Amino acid sequence: MSVRKAMVILLALALCLGALPLAAQDEAPQLSMWVRSINFQTQELVDTWNANNESQIELTVIPSGEFVTKMGAAIAAGDPPDIASIDLIYTPAFASAGQLVDITDFVKELPYVDSLTPAHMELGMYEGRNYAVPTAVDGSFIVYNIDLFEQAGLDAENPPATWDEMLEAMRAINELGDDIYGYWFSMNCAGCNAFTFLPFIWASGGDVLSDDYSQATIAEDPIVREALAFYNTIWEEGLVPEGASIDNGSNFASAFAAGNIGMAGTGNFALSLYQNDHPDLNFGVFHIPGKEGGAASFGGGDVIAIPAGTEHAEEAWRFIEWTMSEEPQIEIYAANGQIPLRLELVDNPYFEGDERQSTAASALAVGHTPYTTVYNDLFNDPNGPWLEMLQIAILDGDIDDAIALGQERFTQIMEG
Amino acid sequence: MISQSSVLNLSWEQRRKLTGLLFITPTVAFVAIFFIVPLLMTIVMSFHDWPLFGERAFIGLENYQELGSDRQYLKSLDFTFRYTALVTPPIFLLGFILASLVRHNIRFIGIFRTIFFLPVVIGLGVSSLLWVWMLDDRIGVFNKILLDLNIVPKAQLFLGRPNTAMNVIILSVVWKTVGFTMILLLAGLQAIPDELYESAEVDGAGYFRKLLYITLPLMRRTIALALILSVIGSVLAFDQFYIMTRGGPRNSTISIVYWIFNNSFTYFKMGYGSAMSIVLLGILVALTGAQFYVLRERY
Repeated sequence: MSVRKAMVILLALALCLGALPLAAQDEAPQLSMWVRSINFQTQELVDTWNANNESQIELTVIPSGEFVTKMGAAIAAGDPPDIASIDLIYTPAFASAGQLVDITDFVKELPYVDSLTPAHMELGMYEGRNYAVPTAVDGSFIVYNIDLFEQAGLDAENPPATWDEMLEAMRAINELGDDIYGYWFSMNCAGCNAFTFLPFIWASGGDVLSDDYSQATIAEDPIVREALAFYNTIWEEGLVPEGASIDNGSNFASAFAAGNIGMAGTGNFALSLYQNDHPDLNFGVFHIPGKEGGAASFGGGDVIAIPAGTEHAEEAWRFIEWTMSEEPQIEIYAANGQIPLRLELVDNPYFEGDERQSTAASALAVGHTPYTTVYNDLFNDPNGPWLEMLQIAILDGDIDDAIALGQERFTQIMEG
Repeated sequence: MISQSSVLNLSWEQRRKLTGLLFITPTVAFVAIFFIVPLLMTIVMSFHDWPLFGERAFIGLENYQELGSDRQYLKSLDFTFRYTALVTPPIFLLGFILASLVRHNIRFIGIFRTIFFLPVVIGLGVSSLLWVWMLDDRIGVFNKILLDLNIVPKAQLFLGRPNTAMNVIILSVVWKTVGFTMILLLAGLQAIPDELYESAEVDGAGYFRKLLYITLPLMRRTIALALILSVIGSVLAFDQFYIMTRGGPRNSTISIVYWIFNNSFTYFKMGYGSAMSIVLLGILVALTGAQFYVLRERY
């Protein structure tokens, strides 16, 4: 109880402080915007907007793992931001609770509405109305270190296409030295593994949820067990650094950048990091394979929405509409290595000749995103059943226990 | 004017009473606003399906009934009491030893008292982060020492295994809080007149006899206070688990307040979180009552 009290008081104080500049100048509207820590292009978008418009946007970056909790508390306290860039999988939860402004009338006026990334548009809908549009497109795939592949005598031109080929490549790379490892996963990060481990299951034709997202299929789908066994082998054979077992996601993208990791699951958000901050890193990209081949990707990223209760809905939409227009899509998104939100803009001067970008962009074609209002409770919660199941199966090797526990707790949450 | 003249017309005795009332008003108001009102709200919320946002509905005792089948709630209760039972004795033993060491006013003793007390003034969040870094397998000072002394063959992931995670968290909390217990016990120790020890020594009492028959009985009140504060603090532990392990590994370090926080703010089930808070409040009241009873003054 004392914690909650302290939270409310802190929140109230924070909101008072935040409200002061708003009250001071009421001529040009001051908008607040929240974004989770993973979107590198947002700061540039806001800076560009602020330099060219009367209305000013104040950007607050929230750690990804805290976003839902903080957003929920802000809504409950009656003072959410005017614009929110939300992990797309949370949109159904916020929209179904009536916490987002219905933007259907704005959206249908957009001339390019049909070319906006479909997964994001679908997740931004609730009962046939639009509540959000895309703002960051992020499919998952695997990056591999070409130098290490060549040193290990592997064919870097033809990266692995099955689980067995991946294991062989990891073993060969592990041989290269004590500090060199075949693979990296962040096994104390729930969301990281929804993003990069679920596609192994999907690419093999399996799933952990039924097609209508009403039931858990962990226990009945044999591929789930095989995928857990595949990752368990990686751990047992020491093909990942031991520290990977406790990484909470802070090294999710950066571990591979150190240059001693053969392969790692990642997404578009990391490509610009590698390209801009680690120009010497010689890497390639391939799709997350199924057991015997095939490919899948988690259609992730963010949508942008207007939380209910704002007085600046019109101005907020003006900003959102501008972010989707051609100039920022090319000069801010593509120039920073981010995939444009409109499919017709993927062919742009910045992406020409970069095979990594085109492979990453094509991952979206095999992208898949679960639609459920309890996504956070199932997958992303650090104390939720997804991570607990993975840790017990992969790190402890108790695959049967893990599957039984996962099935039970998934079912409990989905039945409410 | 009427009220002013009526105040002026009061007798000295009545005015004294009024003054007293005015003096306690701020405290009463503070307690009412920050304790009584939230407590009543929590009780009301615990009878509702009360999401963080959205529609609310009265559901009677359903939240309380759900507690019985919530496996993590029972696991968290078990964990919290195990943690309390493990962390309290070292805090007391070490606190008592430190208090005995710094009891006498000799030269430079203030420096040592300050050193022992210093961790208390660091925020628990900050100290938790500090320990996370010190325990890290790549950059942490503990692993460096253990490796250099050849005590371990390779870097240990202290926070990655349920047993070691619990132990190192206890270590960090003892380091963080032992100074506070030391100060409380020190005050109790210094309140015992030296004459008592001197006369006992004349009668031939050794250290342990003095401890058993003079120090401990005369410190009953102090020990009761320190124990109750320490136990309440441990039962309400949250920050260290949230920061150091995030409830892991395998959800083995989710304390009861952590689970209340998760339900209220991550799963948006404020009503359910409130019901758990009320039950926890009941447990704490019972526990504190029992401690008062055991450590009451008996003459």
